[in-house]
Amino acid sequence: MAIPDIAVADSITDIDAAGASRRFLHAVLGNRKAAAGAVILLVMAFVAAFPGLIAPDDPQAAIYAQSAGPSSAHLLGTTQLGQDVFSQLIWSTRLTLIVTLIVSAIATFLSTIIGVTSAYFGGVTDRVLTVFIDVFLILPVLPLLILLAAYLPPGVTSLTIVLCITSWAFQARQLRSQGLSIRNRDYLVAARARGERGIYIILVEIVPTMTSLIAASFLALAVYVVGFAASLQFLGLGNSSELMWGTMLYNAQQSAALEAGNAWWALGPGAAVALLGAGFALLNYAFDEIGNPALRPVRKRRDGGKRRGRASA
Amino acid sequence: MAEPLLEVDDLTVEYATDAGETRAVDGVSFTVGAGEFLGIVGESGCGKTTLLFAVAQLLSPPGEVVGGKVMFHGRDMVRLSGGELRSIRWRDYSIVMQSAMNALNPMKSIGAQFKDTLQAHGDASANDVRRRSTEVMSLVGIDPAHLQSYPHQLSGGMRQRAMIAMALLYTPQLVIMDEPTSALDVVAQQSLMSKIKELQRNLGFAVIFVTHDMSVVSRYSDRVLVMYAGQVAEAASTEAIFDRPLHPYTRGLMTAFPSLRGPRRELTGIPGSPPDLARPPSGCRFHPRCPDVMPACLEREPELYPVDGAEVRCLLYTERAEQARQTV
Amino acid sequence: MAATPEPRATTPATGEPLLRAVNLTRHFRLGGLFSKSALHAVDDFNITIQEREIVALVGESGSGKSTVARLLARIYRPTRGEIFYRGRPVNRMRSRKDLLWYRGEVPIVLQDPFSAFHPVFRVSHGVMRNLALHRPELSHDERKHEAERACEAVGLSPKMLTRFPYEMSGGERQRIGFAQALAVGPKLILADEPVSMLDVSIRIGVLNMMAGLRDREGVSILYITHDLASARYVADRVVVMYAGHQVEAGPTETVLSDPKHPYTQLLMSAAADPREKEAEISADTGDPPRVIDPSEGCRFRWRCPLAIEKCALVTPHLKPIGSTLVACHVATGDTAAAPGAANPAGTANPAGTASVTNR
Repeated sequence: MAIPDIAVADSITDIDAAGASRRFLHAVLGNRKAAAGAVILLVMAFVAAFPGLIAPDDPQAAIYAQSAGPSSAHLLGTTQLGQDVFSQLIWSTRLTLIVTLIVSAIATFLSTIIGVTSAYFGGVTDRVLTVFIDVFLILPVLPLLILLAAYLPPGVTSLTIVLCITSWAFQARQLRSQGLSIRNRDYLVAARARGERGIYIILVEIVPTMTSLIAASFLALAVYVVGFAASLQFLGLGNSSELMWGTMLYNAQQSAALEAGNAWWALGPGAAVALLGAGFALLNYAFDEIGNPALRPVRKRRDGGKRRGRASA
Repeated sequence: MAEPLLEVDDLTVEYATDAGETRAVDGVSFTVGAGEFLGIVGESGCGKTTLLFAVAQLLSPPGEVVGGKVMFHGRDMVRLSGGELRSIRWRDYSIVMQSAMNALNPMKSIGAQFKDTLQAHGDASANDVRRRSTEVMSLVGIDPAHLQSYPHQLSGGMRQRAMIAMALLYTPQLVIMDEPTSALDVVAQQSLMSKIKELQRNLGFAVIFVTHDMSVVSRYSDRVLVMYAGQVAEAASTEAIFDRPLHPYTRGLMTAFPSLRGPRRELTGIPGSPPDLARPPSGCRFHPRCPDVMPACLEREPELYPVDGAEVRCLLYTERAEQARQTV
Repeated sequence: MAATPEPRATTPATGEPLLRAVNLTRHFRLGGLFSKSALHAVDDFNITIQEREIVALVGESGSGKSTVARLLARIYRPTRGEIFYRGRPVNRMRSRKDLLWYRGEVPIVLQDPFSAFHPVFRVSHGVMRNLALHRPELSHDERKHEAERACEAVGLSPKMLTRFPYEMSGGERQRIGFAQALAVGPKLILADEPVSMLDVSIRIGVLNMMAGLRDREGVSILYITHDLASARYVADRVVVMYAGHQVEAGPTETVLSDPKHPYTQLLMSAAADPREKEAEISADTGDPPRVIDPSEGCRFRWRCPLAIEKCALVTPHLKPIGSTLVACHVATGDTAAAPGAANPAGTANPAGTASVTNR
């Protein structure tokens, strides 16, 4: 393939499926922010998978001194009931991470399908779906939750449902924009011209070209979900017996942990939420680079620019 | 012999890509005399656009000049500082890009952009601006009332003319053009080219004209540089190139044009495609596609040999050139 | 508007024409929902294509030639007019089966080899999908075989099918585009400026391939281009378009060696042959035509050196002069001022009227 004469590559023509994972790895490793994010997430994943290795104590065993401050035996102190806070924090990672990922996945899926369908079909479909997206965008979340709290049993399932409903619309508009910008690309016109059905084109021809944007949407959603899930649980709309950082915050607040002397019962999960959110946000920087080659850092020439002479035959 | 206006000597440009360094322009040398029209032709990947950017000092990373000189008015432009470049840019040389829509600001009127250019490169009073803007618009054949128009209100041909008018604001001695007619239809193209030629004759500036379209070059240029794979394949007067093409590539190009008049013949073009500059072929870069390839062509890289007033980069001519050198 | 007489194919007809378009019209509404303003991309276009022939549709930007291709490929729906394929009205086809059949018989090859392929998939994707849609009766292996055969027919090794688009040159991609169309056994390939974006030295190869498809595979091609020289090289017949209308149509040699319509003459004089040195300079600056809410009358009249009063009042229709059809009042000697008066002057001696001599 001839080298383009001008030093800006067209990112769409540069995409290839086989090289995508290589490029992703390259983008993550080459970008400090993204690498930091990746490290955080990997650590979190490890903690979620093997909590027992880090905190062997049963997080729910109420056998220790109550409301104790941090000590060498209890790194973050104990709860009002005598449970080890550090253990709770570690063991809560799993459910928190699972809920975050599931909600992000479902919401990303919904926003992709609805956004792209709206863009592809255009016309009346587009108008209807756009209104639909807008309605969900402006839904007042808290009143809705309070309403639903009266009907849904408190817990992870309800939390997941509510979060999905209220977070999918956010990225749908962006995915719709992207869909609009590519719907008249020649290869899609060619697909229509050969008689493909609309659904096929959306799923097989359009969505695979948007993987960077979809991945970036997923990560952006995850940041939102982490924080929002914790907030909802803090407000009491979760099930306080489930092991999640948000419920820890709720319990800590209920027991006035800050006044009682084991502030870490609240600060611990708070910091964990922030860290997880930051992890997703940092990793997202890798996608900026993949999606737009113009943002790639210009890598220094390996020889410092000193080599001269003829090119080798 | 008069001092050449521009002298490019062994210019080499490389791009740093993920795959390593690629030489887009490899040891290119040529001169342009005052008032001369030089056409640079070649196909995609030959390096002509990179060459043009390098000469006009518009290269940005990852592209970089790694060797050679560009002597203009006795100074090497590659080594000039930003300030020194600014003092000669647009006054002594100017540039017309391929697509006016890429170069013109869609949010500003033509007149406002002329004013910006005039004020960026010199002190110009409002009167001067108005007078000069009107002058150049008339020069290129656009009603000066269009100074108030925005680029999207003009047709493609008129936009390109506006670009040329902008390039002539300071009556430079050299105008560098990158395929200014390629986005236009054939009638607009011909109209624009004849206008450029008329301006050149009247104002006396030299032109470096990069294009892939041999027909434009044949009618309007004095000399032609044929580029292939980052190197000059052949350099000669226009007449010589068209009547006596020497390099097999040039000869191939000549036969690749179906003609509108005259007998209908079956043509063959040139088989294969231009090489990947990251991994150029061994020896002569054209050898995989050459109808006259010899065994030596795979090993020896030919130099640019002088032959009958032209220069050719082809081993077919080494004996003749060496003979000529020896007899001198 | 009265229907124009169908232009008869000037090559000996082998029976019912393969494709016939009558009064094909396409307007694009401009502005908002309630705007009445429209862009007249194509107006009352008629064409006939026989089997085994290459017809060149020549025009510049704004002529409507690409719109015609898309209308025939059913990417756009016509505002008015009918398309008949093998005698069957295409517009009335509603069932998916019928539409798929038509699309398999009349596929389109697009202009830009760099964007016509899906960047994520190998180039075999388009070919195999085409086969899956239009030749469902074949087994997977049989389809692979057909794909390879199509590849060879366009002069490429079947190994090319496993490549990604970015691994192939423009010329190779364009050939695969033809292979995609060829794989389903079409009768007519719509080629929308297939060589415009290719390097000059590669164009000839693709043009030769197209002629080969006509000769060996028996496929007709509608070759859309702005380049008269390449039209002359491959086409049996030429149709010249300006501003959504046809202006001249006939056998290639006749139209190009003795153009009758002033626009065709302008194109011929402007198109430069690289081997020619001297050129006539015309005053025409090549401004694109006006096709937004155009009035009646010839759309070339603002640039035409021969325009008379009638040209602003009555839209000229194609009338025969010898073996070509020309839409020009002056060229056909149709200069009677009264519009609507039936003027049988279509067969007037062209030499007698003020025709522009070919330079």
